[in-house]
Amino acid sequence: MAVDAKQLAAERAARLKAAVELKEPDRVPFTGIGGDVIAAYAGITSYEFNFDYEKQCQAIIKYVKDFPSDQPVIGMTGLGNHVASMAFSDYPDLYPIISRVDGPTNDILGVDYCRFPGRELDENSSPQFIGREYMSAEEYDELIADPVKFCFEKILPRIVRAFRDMKAPEAHAAMARLALEKAKAGAAMRDMFRQLQELGYAPGGLSVFFAPLDFIGDQLRDIPNLIKDLRRYPDKVKAATEAVLEPLLKVSVNAKGPGVETAMIPLHLNEYLSPALYNEFYWPTLKEGILRLAELGMKSQVFFEGRHDAHLETILELPAGWGTAYFEKTDVRKAKKLLQGHTCIMGGIDVGMVISSTPAKLDEYIKEILGEMMPGGGFILAPNIGNLPRETPIENIRAVYEAVEKYGKY
Amino acid sequence: MREELLRSFVDMDEQEAVRIARELVETEGGAVAVLDTCKEAMEEVGRLFEAGEYFLSELIAAGDMFNQIMEFTLPKLQGEEVASLGTMVLGTVQGDVHNIGKDIFKVMAEASGINVIDIGIDVPHEKFVEAIKEHKPELVGMCCLITLGVDSMKRTIEVIKEAGLRDDIKIIIGGGRVSQAVMEHVGADAWADDAARGVRLSKELLGKE
Ligand code: B12
Repeated sequence: MAVDAKQLAAERAARLKAAVELKEPDRVPFTGIGGDVIAAYAGITSYEFNFDYEKQCQAIIKYVKDFPSDQPVIGMTGLGNHVASMAFSDYPDLYPIISRVDGPTNDILGVDYCRFPGRELDENSSPQFIGREYMSAEEYDELIADPVKFCFEKILPRIVRAFRDMKAPEAHAAMARLALEKAKAGAAMRDMFRQLQELGYAPGGLSVFFAPLDFIGDQLRDIPNLIKDLRRYPDKVKAATEAVLEPLLKVSVNAKGPGVETAMIPLHLNEYLSPALYNEFYWPTLKEGILRLAELGMKSQVFFEGRHDAHLETILELPAGWGTAYFEKTDVRKAKKLLQGHTCIMGGIDVGMVISSTPAKLDEYIKEILGEMMPGGGFILAPNIGNLPRETPIENIRAVYEAVEKYGKY
Repeated sequence: MREELLRSFVDMDEQEAVRIARELVETEGGAVAVLDTCKEAMEEVGRLFEAGEYFLSELIAAGDMFNQIMEFTLPKLQGEEVASLGTMVLGTVQGDVHNIGKDIFKVMAEASGINVIDIGIDVPHEKFVEAIKEHKPELVGMCCLITLGVDSMKRTIEVIKEAGLRDDIKIIIGGGRVSQAVMEHVGADAWADDAARGVRLSKELLGKE
């Protein structure tokens, strides 16, 4: 890394760190905004972006060069493979191989809930996740008894077509092919990180953790079923959240490495639940997860999807400086009033505006939000949703970055 | 018994509500009474949701209770005159596969007396057009939760226009990604990001409120 690239990387990292530590950095840290638009900007299809490592890498580098921020926007490549991550949680070295499903991986595995552009979908679509009921209500006891074994023996064969029969040659062949494919992908990734380093970004990324109830809702029972389970089998559901906590933590730690010291925790059921249900079934194991991650040397970045307004106060139960609260529809100004001095707040840019507004209005909008959110520090500017569609007007994206440059100095 | 049914339904006491409904439905004129009471209960649940006292967990549970009760009530209504406020074709737009919000809205709309034709998720533009031609609805409902769905809605409405069907229908959009600005951008007639408001506006569009 050239000296100035190194210095730039250090400055960027320091900015983000200061905000998480509730201080005022030199400038407001800005995560950047990427997503599907990265491929469009490079003139390639979403299919190419999802299946061709080299084109993907070139597209990202081009975008990051033209739109620099404090974190490289790597885009949304692939979907999580969370049941497999849990099934293999005792093998940390396999984490990079089984934790994500991208285009080529899906060709090998055939993951039931994944659909990719250029395969099942139009070549310019986003990849899709369509979950179903993979576990029946009768199976709670098995899940509770041994979640890792249960995920491996029962759920994985239902989700991954190549693993339908773990004793069949097909499954072993898929595993071997997966390793070969990921070696190729790994080389491309290393090349990308090298180029990113030259642009002043330290290598790194985010680990991931799930609220135990979300893991059960998204990956196993399907959300509407789970909501009914809360009333029909409350004790089993609660026991299940406690049972999956440990292996979920293990998976999260498996992803830890140089530059990977933060766990992203995207919340799904928060908006669905009444405070009573949230406090009984959701928050206890999520809170414990956050505290345990801290003991294991990781900060949490919780993405409070949807409206979290009804549960905001519970965040104060965590120790000050615990990590970052990233908001989608909850008004960050309102959150700041409650959380200032206790929790770093992230968000602030309504992606809908970036898509449909004008450069002049966006300039005004960013000025206003920064004016309100920067004072006192502990704020990271980010889009409320990390995915700009292909059609996003480039002049609008440019306007956002320029406005951050103009108004982001402390 | 109607009072008890209403109360246990609104209080989310599933077992009790289903038990009373089963009993009531066997009495003279009981099926109509069950239907009316459950509609009233759904409306009350919607009000509590709009007031911030109930959450999505309650809407889902209420929808499920409603469906359970209707399963044994509707067959008993054969021959009875069930007033319909009008017909709506409803789907999640192309590229978007979220269905929970749409399904909640659907039950609430049905409970309010709207006849809903659900055409599913990730619905291509042409499929909306075909469904409009086939079912001749007064209303079309589009659900959209992802940003990419915004352009999908816009294109769907254009295709409906090109087919010469736009003037025959009113279009209401819903889901997490909609707003006044999105409504204007795509050219719809109304928007709602919560089901209770969506039902209210749908009735207004039908001229029934
Ligand atoms: C649950 C969820 C999922 C579930 C969906 C389960 C299902 N079967 O629907 C799963 C896990 C499968 C999923 C998948 C994905 N999701 Co998702 N998901 C969510 C989440 C957490 C909640 C959505 C939800 O159900 N809300 C509750 C319902 C009830 O609300 P609602 O839809 O708004 O409906 C209400 C009203 O709008 C109204 N209504 C609904 N429909 C209609 C229709 C009419 C006509 C009217 C009048 C009213 C109306 O009534 C409802 C009740 O009040 C949101 C975040 C959030 N909290 O909003 C992300 C979110 C929508 N997902 C998101 C993404 C990116 C995805 C994926 C692409 C992720 C991925 N890479 O895997 C895939 C989907 C791909 C695709 N192409 O669609 C993003 C969308 C970002 C964007 N703007 O593009 C969100 C916003 C999360 C985020 N912050 O990043 N998701």
